Amino acid sequence: MTQSKAKKRTPAVFGWFSSLAEVFREGDMWTRLSALIMGLGQLKRGQVIKGLLLMAFEALFIWFQTGFGWQYLKDFGTLGTNAQARVWDEAAQIFRRVPGDNSMLILLFSVLTLATFIPFIAIWVINMKSALYVQKQAEKGVKPNSFVEDVKTFLDERFHITLLTLPMLTLVLFTVLPIVFMILIAFTNFDKNHQPPGSLFTWVGMTNVTDVFWGDQLKSQTFFGILGWTLVWAVFATFTNYIFGMILAMMINKKGIRFKKMWRTIFVVTIAVPQFVSLLLVSKMFTDTGVVNVLLQQWGLMSGPIPFLTDPTLARILVIVVNLWVGIPYTMLMTTGILMNIPADLYESAAIDGAGPVRQFISITLPYMIFVTAPQMITTFVGNINNFNVIYLLTTGGPLTLDYYQAGKTDLLVTWLYKLTVNEQNYSLASTIGIFIFLIVGSISLVVYNMTGSVKKEDQFQ
Amino acid sequence: MKKLLSLVLAIALVAGMSTCAMADAVTLKLWGAQEDQALLGELVEAFKAENADVEWDISLGVVGEPDAKTRYLEDPAAAADVFAFANDQLMDLVNADALYEVTRNKDAIVAANSAGSIESATLNDTLYGYPMTADNGYFLYYDKSVLTEEDVKTLDGILAKANEAGKKVFMDVSNGWYIASFFMGAGCELGMDENGNQTCDFNNAAGVAAGEAIRAFCADPAFLTGDDSVLQGGMGETICAGVSGTWNADAMMDKLGDNYAACKLPTFTCAGEQVQMGSFIGTKVVGVNTQTEFPVEAMMLAEYITNEAAQVKRFEQRAMGPSNVNAAASEAVQENLALAALAAQSAHGTSQKLVLGTYWTPAEAFGLEMENKSTADMQTLLDSMVAQITAK
Repeated sequence: MTQSKAKKRTPAVFGWFSSLAEVFREGDMWTRLSALIMGLGQLKRGQVIKGLLLMAFEALFIWFQTGFGWQYLKDFGTLGTNAQARVWDEAAQIFRRVPGDNSMLILLFSVLTLATFIPFIAIWVINMKSALYVQKQAEKGVKPNSFVEDVKTFLDERFHITLLTLPMLTLVLFTVLPIVFMILIAFTNFDKNHQPPGSLFTWVGMTNVTDVFWGDQLKSQTFFGILGWTLVWAVFATFTNYIFGMILAMMINKKGIRFKKMWRTIFVVTIAVPQFVSLLLVSKMFTDTGVVNVLLQQWGLMSGPIPFLTDPTLARILVIVVNLWVGIPYTMLMTTGILMNIPADLYESAAIDGAGPVRQFISITLPYMIFVTAPQMITTFVGNINNFNVIYLLTTGGPLTLDYYQAGKTDLLVTWLYKLTVNEQNYSLASTIGIFIFLIVGSISLVVYNMTGSVKKEDQFQ
Repeated sequence: MKKLLSLVLAIALVAGMSTCAMADAVTLKLWGAQEDQALLGELVEAFKAENADVEWDISLGVVGEPDAKTRYLEDPAAAADVFAFANDQLMDLVNADALYEVTRNKDAIVAANSAGSIESATLNDTLYGYPMTADNGYFLYYDKSVLTEEDVKTLDGILAKANEAGKKVFMDVSNGWYIASFFMGAGCELGMDENGNQTCDFNNAAGVAAGEAIRAFCADPAFLTGDDSVLQGGMGETICAGVSGTWNADAMMDKLGDNYAACKLPTFTCAGEQVQMGSFIGTKVVGVNTQTEFPVEAMMLAEYITNEAAQVKRFEQRAMGPSNVNAAASEAVQENLALAALAAQSAHGTSQKLVLGTYWTPAEAFGLEMENKSTADMQTLLDSMVAQITAK
């Protein structure tokens, strides 16, 4: 389906340009002049309000660029060269500060200014085409649309434009532009030694990217080490929760088990305590002097404390196990609903055919479950790759290690990123890692999602 | 998106400031720790009363000294005009041109505060802040019923007595702040090169000897680590001695009662010799934001909340050690055991201002290795720690 869409789109883009060429080929002087002075063609053919509006728009755009945009855009190449300066003020006996360039503001407003070119070009093209259109109408002797008639089309055949303008604008302003801004930071040296207004940062090209992969041995070692653990963690956290939650739900669902509602309630009670509270408590419980170690020693089971949080392997096992405890109730609730939905006659006929409980599980329950929950599992997996809460509140990424750059053995990419920004002010490196997290998460979701039965056999769901 | 939002807010704030300026009121924002809010409120009121000729609009914000730099750098324009910070942030703040130089009334300020505290706020011969306290350091608390004054002179003596009594000796070795005391005692140094990068020689011969001493200390049965809550919970019961700072003085007094005692850090055995443990000494400093609309007035306020009277109040209400010479000489301060111990230790202390942010994580990682009784080669461990600390 996506392919056929793409095929249609290519000629559409060509058509867009060729129709623009057509404007210059077939347009008369007024239409051609509209390229410089927007709205001229429309004015000439009697669309006064439309013509004036277009002219006003162009004037506004030029005023914005010269009055505001240019002061930032002119430094976009260097991100500023004059840091804040000091001048001795004899009367006040202080060094007054002379505001200099601010790399961050230059970058931010440059992105904003560049973005304003997109609507400008779009409206310019519309202006050209409509100039040709009214020219042809006039040649045919047809009276052009009045302004009121034009506006009315936005409530009728062009109603989709009216509806979508505001959402699109907010999306671009509050989501797309900040993302572009953040991505651009990855190509600068915005770190703790380059903090505006005192010291400016500038473009460094691909240095951060190459550092992460091979340029800087320590950083690449950290990146790949953490990436490996992040994936291991995501796989374990997702599948252990899924399997144990399902087993639990099936056990409660089994015929002959009494007090089903009570069991369910007991397991769901853990949800009642906010996750971060239980995580912080658990992390206290497992310290060397925490409840667990004290009890183990008092009962004489251990002679010394077990390093739950300070031994890398134990800490990794601990976070996975604690995550089970936090996550199982949710999986249980979800699977309970799906399990109850499986038609009972499937099991009955299977039983008549002589299938035991294991065969029934493998041939009926599991395929049904996977079919229904695969997209949800992908979401969970992706969520686990970025599972900040469990890791940061439980171990803060520790135990720290000398093998990693400012990171510990249970750090995920996202907690490392957090540490780099908050403790180290190393925004450029953090931004680079952020881009990679997005690439990893994005490609995994896309590929796996398209492979799932729920997508391929959408129509076959009973 | 957050940046954009904070930017918009900052612009709104600047716009707000300029409108206020038109109304002739001096608008200042002051950051201080949560526990200091009441005290700061009092000081601000007194300040307004003393300078009644100007219309003041001073607001308080809760940002503790340890977080000041981070919060400042998030958005300098939205940060407070006057804020207190721990002096180890000085370098980064100066690098971002965040602080006004102290130029008004400088001689009086230098004369009023101890030389050490002035030095701690000075970089390249320029004074960048008003010293507020001089107590950001650590020393030894101990239980008089277990340890004698003679025992606490050496770490070996403390450990021997503690083992005899079946008690623990507390020190948070997996913390760069405390673990440095071994290295600095052995003569190693943290510094800064001309490009503002951290230099560190903890991996030289003296450092290796200190590292082995840390390994031996951590391997001792009486050794105990953890955070403040461990010390506060166990002192007097399972713990007979612990390394900590003045913020724990009240808790220690409560737990130990008549057995409460404090002294400078002991000596430790380093390559067969007794060496005095060093320590970091930090001060808290009040700085004036270069982005402020009212630099002169902000400096007046900063000076006022750090003057002698204010420091005496700060000691009375918050038990913080004054940097002001007269305030520190008062009888009440002299009688404070914890501050006396800190003063004794500060003779062996090193200023924290040349320690950059990159130091802490690797040092903590090394401390963890030691606590986990690592048997790895000390030179290799220290080499990788130093490589991390000095990474650019």
